Amino acid sequence: MAQHEMSTPGGAPHGTLTRERARRTPVGPGRLLTWLPLPVGAALWAWSLPRIRFHNLGDFGLLDRFPVAFYASLAVLTVGFIASLRRAGTAPWWPLTYSLGMLFALKAPTALLYDTVRYAWASKHDAVIARLLTEGTVHPHHTLNGGMSAYDQWPGFFSLNAALIKAFGVQGAAVYTNWAPVIYGALTLPILVVIYRTFTDDWRLVWTAVWIFQLANWVGQDYLSPQGFAYVLFLAVFAVVLRHFVRPGSAGSLRDRDLLDPAAAPAPPATTWQQRAVGVVLLAPLIAAINSAHQLTPVMLCVTLFALCLTRRYRNIGLFVVAVVIMGIWDLTMGRPLFVDTMKTLSGQLGDLLSNAKPGIGGNPTGEGAELVGVVNIVMVVALGALAVVAVVLRRRLARSALPLLLAAVAPAPLLAVNNYGGEMVFRVYLFGLPGSAFFAAAALVPSVAYAGKARRIAQRVMVVALPAGILVLLAGFLPSYYGKESMQYAPPQEVAFVERAYDRAPTGSLVMAATGSFPGAYYHYNHYDHWFFTEQDAAANRQLLKDPGDYLAEGIPAGCPAYIILTPTQRDAVQGEGYLPPGGYTKLVAALKASPHFKIIEEGSHGLLLQHLPIPTAPEALPDDVEP
Amino acid sequence: MNRTKAQLRAVLALSGWVALAATLLPAGAFLRWATILLFVTFGPGLALLHPQSGVRPPARLETLALAAPVSWSLATLTATALFLVQGFSTTVFLISLAAFCTVAALLPGLPLPAAMRQAGDEPSGAAGAGTGAGGEP
Repeated sequence: MAQHEMSTPGGAPHGTLTRERARRTPVGPGRLLTWLPLPVGAALWAWSLPRIRFHNLGDFGLLDRFPVAFYASLAVLTVGFIASLRRAGTAPWWPLTYSLGMLFALKAPTALLYDTVRYAWASKHDAVIARLLTEGTVHPHHTLNGGMSAYDQWPGFFSLNAALIKAFGVQGAAVYTNWAPVIYGALTLPILVVIYRTFTDDWRLVWTAVWIFQLANWVGQDYLSPQGFAYVLFLAVFAVVLRHFVRPGSAGSLRDRDLLDPAAAPAPPATTWQQRAVGVVLLAPLIAAINSAHQLTPVMLCVTLFALCLTRRYRNIGLFVVAVVIMGIWDLTMGRPLFVDTMKTLSGQLGDLLSNAKPGIGGNPTGEGAELVGVVNIVMVVALGALAVVAVVLRRRLARSALPLLLAAVAPAPLLAVNNYGGEMVFRVYLFGLPGSAFFAAAALVPSVAYAGKARRIAQRVMVVALPAGILVLLAGFLPSYYGKESMQYAPPQEVAFVERAYDRAPTGSLVMAATGSFPGAYYHYNHYDHWFFTEQDAAANRQLLKDPGDYLAEGIPAGCPAYIILTPTQRDAVQGEGYLPPGGYTKLVAALKASPHFKIIEEGSHGLLLQHLPIPTAPEALPDDVEP
Repeated sequence: MNRTKAQLRAVLALSGWVALAATLLPAGAFLRWATILLFVTFGPGLALLHPQSGVRPPARLETLALAAPVSWSLATLTATALFLVQGFSTTVFLISLAAFCTVAALLPGLPLPAAMRQAGDEPSGAAGAGTGAGGEP
């Protein structure tokens, strides 16, 4: 902290007594700018909250439904955060408060306002928890339609939630599902501080990196999900390794202040092998819990630990082996069916970098909103990457001392050459590289001012101009990326009720079809039904589907199987947002199915359409000529 | 051990049993779920990592940061094991964590080595220590 006070922008700590007194006055300009934005931002946010028109979302999701005051509150909080950085070393509670405030301002509105579970996949996870509670156990080696058996093979997260639901005495996870982003964010924040504090003594850099992490974390994996849960544990393992797994005799010049970037922290103290063994014992439950919860996160953990082994400081082969062994044990026992399947399909995707890096499984998103989101996503990735590269190039000493963070940022990238993870791999690679890239992006915006002369002036200008500009650009990018497709994420209670009613009408064993599985309630009592989400296929097959949807679907229904089609407004938005069908395709599909002789309308309203398959009786065989009719 | 430390240990040792008692409250009551959530999220981790005497300030931050992930991990493994053997009940789940908490809180606490020493220290007698030069890679 002392080092940082030395490097606060705008002057040394040894100012005159008068200036010191002025700074201590609560109404002095510096002080005022530190605390005043908080109540102002909170007031604007609270005023805007009931005015967010989320009931009737359009092409731009919540972007054109947030009142101006909401955007103003975020801008005011940003101003307060930047002002609070002036005293980040001596009054860390201010950037902490602003970081928590921004987290709450960004993520809490949907938790406070929505009257249904936000995001179809969160609703799917609710269904998995509900089934676990009903059955009281999991069946990892039973095959379930639509890849749902994977949830029984990695049941850790669902078991924890089921346990909490039972202990709370509530009906299901829906009562807290929408709070997951806030809870995950709040628990992630101190872990990030520990990680960044390992590599810098400059608290401005620490908090700016945390702030950037929040804004750049737009990939939306922080809902109630195994991956969101496992990510928090992953970061905790990463933090423990960085703090407590430095090998003796390896830091050398990394503790020499003269050779370090002025903002860099000396390498943490080295630990004996006995101490690191204790560390492994502490980490083993974390690693085991990650493996019990999610398939991909253990892989990301292993590649990150492997990347750390490339440095002398963190060459902990034993820990890496322990992580690999725990992953192997889980994959070959509980996760065996999916693991074997994945291995079989791996050869087809191996090395197909372009295909694996393609986001989603559909075509190009259609609609102005979805197209905007696509462009902004790319701009966000490029902006963050460019800032990080600038810091690595210009602050080579910092890059050297924070090499483990740099390696961790790039370590997940090779996985793009291995698998596409259902069109998600590119987002996951970005997410797991984010702690490192956010740090270096912050280092580009918060240069050390422990320089003299011209270098100091340049650093101060960068701080005054580039930091606010960079943060505001990231904030402007976060909102469309996170809330731009909100019409896919929110369904009114009437639509959810419609879906449950539709499922209840279908007898057990029915085939339930829908344009996509991205709608709340899609997996309601999922083990009672087979599913066919018929537009989730390649573009050529969808062109075939659109030629005659009725015939196409009827041909795919197994003989004698009762079948239903559920179509909802959320599916319409998802099909458009994910680019499964060309513009106008969904409307054409619905009209054709309504007119098809293969299906009859059971229920139709503004919240959904339910069709039942009518098996067309085969024509009776013609009797032989010599037989009297 | 000073009085504050002893009080903290006592609170941690009892926290699980308080959470268990909270299940007697009506289903879904705020006091019930808030007590249980706080215990499951922080109890076991804090009991395991509670700050040692003579640690540097960053150790307190680390304890705070790691308490929730460690607690969730232990709770996850406990719940998963119970569901796998078809033996889950709220009582068994909470008693397991409460007992762990009580034992861990009464033990000295897991040492976080980097927090106990000053940066730059090298452990004496460590295998491979002493070359001290070069740094990366």
